[in-house]
Order: sequence, then C-alpha cells, then structure tokens
Amino acid sequence: MVALSCKAGFRIDLNFLRCIAFRFKMLTYCLSAIYSLKYDRDLFKAMPDCRIYSWFYYLPFFFWIIISLFIGCAGIKKSELPDLPENLPPTIELDAVPFYPQSDYQCGPSTLAMALTYSDYSITPEALQSQVYTPARKGSLQMAMIGATRRHGRLAYPIFGLNTIWPEIAAGHPVIVLQNLGLSWIPIWHYAVLIGYDFIDNTVILRSGITERKVMSFATFNKTWARSGYWGLIVLKPTQLPAIAREKHYLAAVFGLEKSSRFQAAIDGYQTALTRWPRSLIANMGLGNSLYALGDLHGAEDTFRMAVKNHPGAAEAYNNLAQVLLEQGRKQEALEAAQRAVAIAGPMSEVYESTLKEIQSEK
Amino acid sequence: MRRKKRVEKSVCILMTLILVMITTPVSAVFAAMVGTEAILVNQDTQNARDQLRSFLNREDVQSRLTTRGIDPAEAKARIDSLSDAEIMQIADKIDQLPAGGSFWGTALYLAVIALIVLVVLELLGYTDFI
Repeated sequence: MVALSCKAGFRIDLNFLRCIAFRFKMLTYCLSAIYSLKYDRDLFKAMPDCRIYSWFYYLPFFFWIIISLFIGCAGIKKSELPDLPENLPPTIELDAVPFYPQSDYQCGPSTLAMALTYSDYSITPEALQSQVYTPARKGSLQMAMIGATRRHGRLAYPIFGLNTIWPEIAAGHPVIVLQNLGLSWIPIWHYAVLIGYDFIDNTVILRSGITERKVMSFATFNKTWARSGYWGLIVLKPTQLPAIAREKHYLAAVFGLEKSSRFQAAIDGYQTALTRWPRSLIANMGLGNSLYALGDLHGAEDTFRMAVKNHPGAAEAYNNLAQVLLEQGRKQEALEAAQRAVAIAGPMSEVYESTLKEIQSEK
Repeated sequence: MRRKKRVEKSVCILMTLILVMITTPVSAVFAAMVGTEAILVNQDTQNARDQLRSFLNREDVQSRLTTRGIDPAEAKARIDSLSDAEIMQIADKIDQLPAGGSFWGTALYLAVIALIVLVVLELLGYTDFI
C-alpha cells in the first residue's frame, strides 16, 4: 500500500512547492516503510511473503534519490510561458543577421562578430579572437565581450531578464545570450545570438555554434539562460537607443565608450541620450568632457553652459566650464565660473579650489 | 613631582598632535576637470586613496590576464575599456566567472555516460573486466 501511494502519486509536472512537499511526504513514507519492515515484527509477520515486497518498498526511495540528484525541484517547476507585451508581432525572425559558424571554443568571437556586422561594422570572428578569447579559460569572458564591443566604437547595452528581450527583437536588435547548456554544477557555457521568437509555437530562434537556425523551445531556452542570471548583451550604434532604455544603464554604456577613448562615438551616444533625457546632467557633462578630450573647446564650452543653465546648482559644471574658458584664454570669465563652483561647493570641493587657484595664479 | 606631570602633559599633547597628523588623509589633487566617472558613480571623495585603489585593481586584473596567456599590451587595452565599477566586479574572480565556449563540460558528460554504460554491461555480464 505504501509503495502504491508512492508510485501513483509521482508525477513529473508539479509546481515548485507541491513538488517539495510531495517529495518530503514520499521520503517519510518510504523511510517509514523501511523502518516498519525492519523493526515492526508484527507487520513483518503479517505479510505472506516478505521478500517479494521488500525490494518493492525500496524502489521509490531509489527513484527519489536518482531524480533529485539530477533534476532538483527548480527544474520541475511548471514552465511559465512568458507574456507577450502588447503591440508586438506574435512571430518575428531577424534573418538579416549574418551567420559566422564558430570554430572550437570560439562562440564568443563568432557571436560578437555577428552582432557587430549587423550593426554596420563588418568584422570577422578571427579578427575578434585576440580581443575576446582567453586561452587559459578556453572561452570568452563576459567583460571581454563588452570591452571588445566598446573598442570597436559600439554601445554594449546589458539585458535584464526574460521579458525585456521581446521588445528588443521586435525593434530589430539581436541579443547575444550566455547559456549554460549543462547543469549548474557541471556547466557548459555557450554564447548564442537570439534572432527571433514564435509565440504561436512557443519557440525561440538562435544562431548557435555551427547551426545557422536553431529552434529551441521556450522551456529549454528559459532553463539554459536562467543559469547565467539572464545575462544578455545588445550591440548598438551610438546613435541608436534600445527599445527599453534605462537612463542610468544607457549612460553607463556610453561612458564605457568614453573610457575606451572612442570619443567621437561617445559624443554621438551622449547626444542620443540628450534627445531622450534632455535634462540629464550626466549626459551634458559627459558630452562636454568628450568634446574637451577631442580638443573642441568651443563645443565643450557650449555644452557646459547648457549644463549650468539646466542645473544652476551643479558645481562640477561650473568647474569644468572654468577650465575650458581658461584654456581659451578668457581668464575673467574663467575666474567667475570657478568662483561660482567654489561658492556652491560639494563633494569635489578640493578640485574646485585647485582650479580656482590655478586661474588666479595665471593672472 | 609637578615638573614630571608637566613633562608628561607636554609629551601627551605632542603624541596627540602626531596621531592626528598621521591619520589625516593626504589628498593630492591634480585634476582640474571633474571627470564623467566621478559624477556617474556619485563618489563622495576623489582622494588619492580611491585613485590608488582603482589603479591597483587595474594592475591586478592586468597581471592576471597576462598570466593567462594574453599579450600584455592586449591585456592593458582590455582593461582600459572597462570602468572602475566593472573592474571591481571581475577583480578577484577571473577563474570563477563563466567563459563562454569552453566545452570541457561536454567531455565530462560523455565520460560519465561511458562509465555508466560500462558498469551496466559489467553487471549484466556482457563484459568481465572488473
């Protein structure tokens, strides 16, 4: 009777809490059956032929161990199909995304080459190999992928979670995803490019490895992608915005271009940010700093003036304006701006005071 | 007795002054422009200690990359394209972070399957090497 209830109750598609509760119940049943067999002499004697039933009682216990070892309760969670946001087509495939079949261990360079070529920057995986691949790890680190994107003057915008990718695909931005094709304790990390989805068949379409068009079910895609924490990357031109643009992350991505000394691309990126968030102080400051780095003092001055106009309390804008005016030889205006910065003060007061001293010593 | 107390008092004041001077942070401010990264992360101070720490982090990551078979100039170029926050994320973890493309996992799975098949054949009596 115990064995029957164990076997009859065991179903594959239970949701998470019911699964845990059921497994616990089953374990206690099986343990009690073993216990009663060993220690309850009356029950033992009551059975006509104990030996037939003994392995029968142990069997669910072994099933339980083997299945728990490999799947775990999270894997048996009822696969939740994602919701398609409104106004998106139910199926789409970006078949214009080029395909570069990967060679051994080179899925990083090949996926990045696909994404870069699609964003109008033609490059082959071989050219990217030295910038993306780490020989000792026999693979490509995520930071190397981001760094290489920036070094070629493209924005590397990160992706968060399952539901942000559908609008991006619909807007024509393929997504590089990091999947773990194995189990969490024996990982097989792999990069692939998501190029389409199909909410009618519940599948996604990927360019993966040596397969130009790999169709994967949502459930498998969700499981393999979830193990990497839903890490994804969109490669954009600096004049483009992602479909779902968050100010802080977009500006951090543009700053990455500035940090990599791709100042013209950073200028384009900050200007794009200003079209979307016109009052952003960080975008103004970044634009001014990038123009300054390229030697365009007039442009930098105009940008910092715009910044102080929109943010009269921004001491850092006054400080940078002062520096730019000083370098153009307009000492009086520089002095006024530097004095404003020191008067407003703030966390970077030491820098403002040093700028003021420098201007005063120039007179 | 009074003289000894006075000496002690002046030594005490001197030691206090020295302690205060030692623990005051020394900030060497040289940049006249406020960089974008300072505003982006809303740093409270841009003093020499923070700059030193981020410099050391970059040196650390660069040396780790170099020991993993990357040309030093290439390693420097790679870390130069990352912001301080990103360098902090990867500073100690280069070996634990996932590296896409490594297929040693596949080899392990194949080995385990082969092992299971061999054990089963052995138990069923098709082979007899154990």
